[in-house]
Amino acid sequence: MPDLQITATVNGREVTRAVKPWHRLLDFLREDLGLTGTKEGCGAGECGTCSVFVDGVLIKSCLMPVAKAQGTRIDTVEALGRRQFTAVQKAFKKAGASQCGFCIPGMVMAATAALRDSPRADREEIRERLGGNICRCTGYQKIVDAIELARDVLLGLKPESVFDEETTADGHYTGRNVGRIDAPSKVTGALKYAGDMVMPGMLHAQVLRSPHAHARILSIDTSAAKAMPGVEAVVTCDDVPGVDNYGVFVSDQPVLARGKVRFVGDAVAAVAAVDLVTARRALAAIRVDYEPLPAVFSAEEARRPGAPVVHDYAPNNVTKHIPVRVGDVEKGFAESDLIVERVYETQPVEHAYLEPEAGLAYVDPDDVVTIWSPSQNITHHRHMLARILARPINKVRMIMSPVGGGFGGKEDMIYQGILALLAIETKQPVRLVFTREESMAVSAKRHPSRTRLKMGVTRDGLIRAVEYEMVCDGGAYGLSTEGVMRKAAILGAGPYRVPNLKLDTWGIYTNNTPSGAFRSFGGLQAQFATESHLDVVAEMLGLDPFEIRRINAMRVGTATHTKQELKSASLLEVLEAAAKASGWDTGAPTSRGAVRGDLFGPGNRVPLAPGSRVDLRMPAEAGEVK
Amino acid sequence: MLTCDDYLTPTTLAAAFDAIERNAGRHRLIAGGTDLLSWAREGRAGDVHVPVLIDVTRIPELCERRVGAERVRFGAATPIARFLDDRALAAAVPSMAFSADWFACGQIREQATVGGNLVNASPAGDAIPPLLAQSAEVELAARVDGEIRLRRLPLSDFLVSSGRTRLGENEILTAIECDALPGRGAAYEKVGHRRSLVISVVCLAVVVELDASRRRFADVRLALGGVGPVARRLHAVEDFLKGGPIDRERLEAAAEMPLDFVQSRSRRAYRREVVRGFVVRGLVNALKRADVADGVVEPELEAVYA
Ligand SMILES: Cc1cc2nc3c(=O)[nH]c(=O)nc-3n(C[C@H](O)[C@H](O)[C@H](O)COP(=O)(O)OP(=O)(O)OC[C@H]3O[C@@H](n4cnc5c(N)ncnc54)[C@H](O)[C@@H]3O)c2cc1C
Ligand code: FES
Ligand code: FES
Repeated sequence: MPDLQITATVNGREVTRAVKPWHRLLDFLREDLGLTGTKEGCGAGECGTCSVFVDGVLIKSCLMPVAKAQGTRIDTVEALGRRQFTAVQKAFKKAGASQCGFCIPGMVMAATAALRDSPRADREEIRERLGGNICRCTGYQKIVDAIELARDVLLGLKPESVFDEETTADGHYTGRNVGRIDAPSKVTGALKYAGDMVMPGMLHAQVLRSPHAHARILSIDTSAAKAMPGVEAVVTCDDVPGVDNYGVFVSDQPVLARGKVRFVGDAVAAVAAVDLVTARRALAAIRVDYEPLPAVFSAEEARRPGAPVVHDYAPNNVTKHIPVRVGDVEKGFAESDLIVERVYETQPVEHAYLEPEAGLAYVDPDDVVTIWSPSQNITHHRHMLARILARPINKVRMIMSPVGGGFGGKEDMIYQGILALLAIETKQPVRLVFTREESMAVSAKRHPSRTRLKMGVTRDGLIRAVEYEMVCDGGAYGLSTEGVMRKAAILGAGPYRVPNLKLDTWGIYTNNTPSGAFRSFGGLQAQFATESHLDVVAEMLGLDPFEIRRINAMRVGTATHTKQELKSASLLEVLEAAAKASGWDTGAPTSRGAVRGDLFGPGNRVPLAPGSRVDLRMPAEAGEVK
Repeated sequence: MLTCDDYLTPTTLAAAFDAIERNAGRHRLIAGGTDLLSWAREGRAGDVHVPVLIDVTRIPELCERRVGAERVRFGAATPIARFLDDRALAAAVPSMAFSADWFACGQIREQATVGGNLVNASPAGDAIPPLLAQSAEVELAARVDGEIRLRRLPLSDFLVSSGRTRLGENEILTAIECDALPGRGAAYEKVGHRRSLVISVVCLAVVVELDASRRRFADVRLALGGVGPVARRLHAVEDFLKGGPIDRERLEAAAEMPLDFVQSRSRRAYRREVVRGFVVRGLVNALKRADVADGVVEPELEAVYA
């Protein structure tokens, strides 16, 4: 494989490197030049974390073969604001536009391009021009605010001083626009996420994953992979020195599949090699013999007698059942004027943080296994890992690298154990970076749920009884299911007084991708059912949906369904604020006011019609162009 | 992951054929790379090793652009963005300009080429309906016995089915020629999951020209994509529209005509509804841009469809 000789002007300096012919411009920047401000969020053109200028034109470097960069001028985020931040960078900092920061270098580049190409772009045009860049944290508002601020300063409509931070001389911070300490490192691309880190002699890891949802592993043959030049280690469950069974609430998971695989994507073996390509080729050389087993793909099926069993310790596939009982529901239904029963379902949801899972592990000179990763739960991971590796806790160190978005999805330990095994095996630093596809396929999802809700109310809207059963698909391993079921149980019946309650939440094993923590941790699925149900009941009673909530709201002194007496309660204020903010027309859901206050009003967005920027005015005359 | 042993960037057509002949059967052409690189990933083709990649974007014949009075010619390696920012090109191929505004995002439009879009032959490729509407022909080059031979095919013949074209094994798509239609009213209607970076679920290109009364079509062209294995011109609908004055009845009747072209396996009922709405909306948008006589497009029709 002849290397390509690439010469380009990168951030103002001419560089020449011999590079692999298949490298993308992104690899050239990150691997060959160490310019890690440019990120790889997807590798497929979808996210814009890799945006850079080539000859002044913004492009996605993950889709550009490096050969195309020959002789070009390339500017990355590192070129901006070397001595002084650019207006865009200052504005991002001032507006609080960076959260996890993983999208921010790309966003800063896209914002710079947008204002270069269209210095007077309005808010809608800015949004449209940023269409190629995704942010999962901010909801975009602050990013667009920042770009508008930068635009106004660049046009001279606002003074530079708008970028100044508010002073906090009086020591008060609440309600003040205080600069984020980490904003500078994010708007410059200086912040190193785990996938940006390198160490001398570092190896690259890749993971072999199950193509089956449920199968017995008859044999794993790693000999051919081990024999490949450049492959430093291949590990399987046989290489785990300690207790290979862990989890946040229940211990039901091995580091690498032991005996059987339980979902498509379950980790089976892992490789460390001198480079990524060798590691990937080695994966293809591992032979695994599977005997497919009947699999179960929904919680309903899994609860039926005779369903395939996912874990032997749980023959009925129940991960966790949480019951809550208050009063006597039968009595409550008997006292009701109206009883309404409905079923509510929610789907699995991917967190899609822009930083794919990544980690760097090594064994330090004092024999401490050290792992950098964006783990959202390092202390717990450290404890679990010590048991898995059969080491005292002081010989295991977890370092939390900046989290490029987590939303709960990085709470579960799905790869740190693999990294530790490879580092111990090779005695060299090992880095693993998931591809976007791998991240989507194997990271935990929001629990899909199915809730049967039966509510009894009096004619004037007072809740007398609720029977509530939520069944969640927890997937192949327990992960955070138990905690999610607990929180769903606590919050299930909502912030409403329910004198008679029979509530059950169930987390069930299936052969689907495991479910785990996700913002709100079970609250969302539970509230979706209860809040939707209240709207249905309000409509049947001819009541305003706000009114039925007010009637039943928990107040100071109310005991919650799990017997906590409330010393403060703000639901009534929240309802009032929501009604006001939404321009609510009072009345039952079946009625409508004279005007729709919710449409076309102030604060509503009228999107830019596609095509409105197309300019077809003819140039002076047809003929040769350029 | 796409890997190769060698990446060649010929700067003449002859050098490109030298490379092809030297590596016959072991090579693949690459233009912008936006389809190729995103295809060689898990869930699609997986890791792919192509011994020799031959980059066609620095061959002069594939980069030229010429706008004539009757026909427009542009090289296969023309990036999609040029249909927006090259004024002469945008004016002469107006349906492509509107389509380009919908294409991927500003960055990918600079990388993706029109030739790559045609050879990729996705049923939802956004360059295809506009070029069908402008009666495009493709020019294909091959070297036989040391001599470069060109052949031409109507785009509608070039596209065979999803992902398949009549491109020969060692052929290069060099250029596209289509009708120059400056001053026409045009529209491109597209729907997908969101505004940017999205594959068309349905897309429709429209180009109209009015007669002197500005109440009848002198010319009308429609091409529909995203709903079957290949995009197609709607000739019968065009003839029907030209058969009488423009009014609501005619537009709505025209919108019923192509519904059976919806062959997609998924969301067929939805797509039929969209096609119906798009035909009217596309025509209304194009008519307004063609400066149709006042009152021909009733405000109510516009409110419902546009
Ligand atoms: C994030 C993203 C968003 C996208 N959005 C859209 C969209 O909105 N609409 C849309 O239509 N497409 C979209 N695409 C698909 C893609 O960008 C287009 O199809 C593009 O036009 C392909 O052109 P290319 O130059 O990048 O092709 P390449 O990837 O270089 O090549 C594609 C194929 O064509 C062949 N080829 C290229 N040039 C020639 C030639 N001159 N002669 C012979 N064969 C050739 C190659 O061998 C290859 O098989 C998107 C892609 C991505 C990654
Ligand atoms: S767009 Fe390049 S990494 Fe996502
Ligand atoms: S700040 Fe944008 S993805 Fe986190």
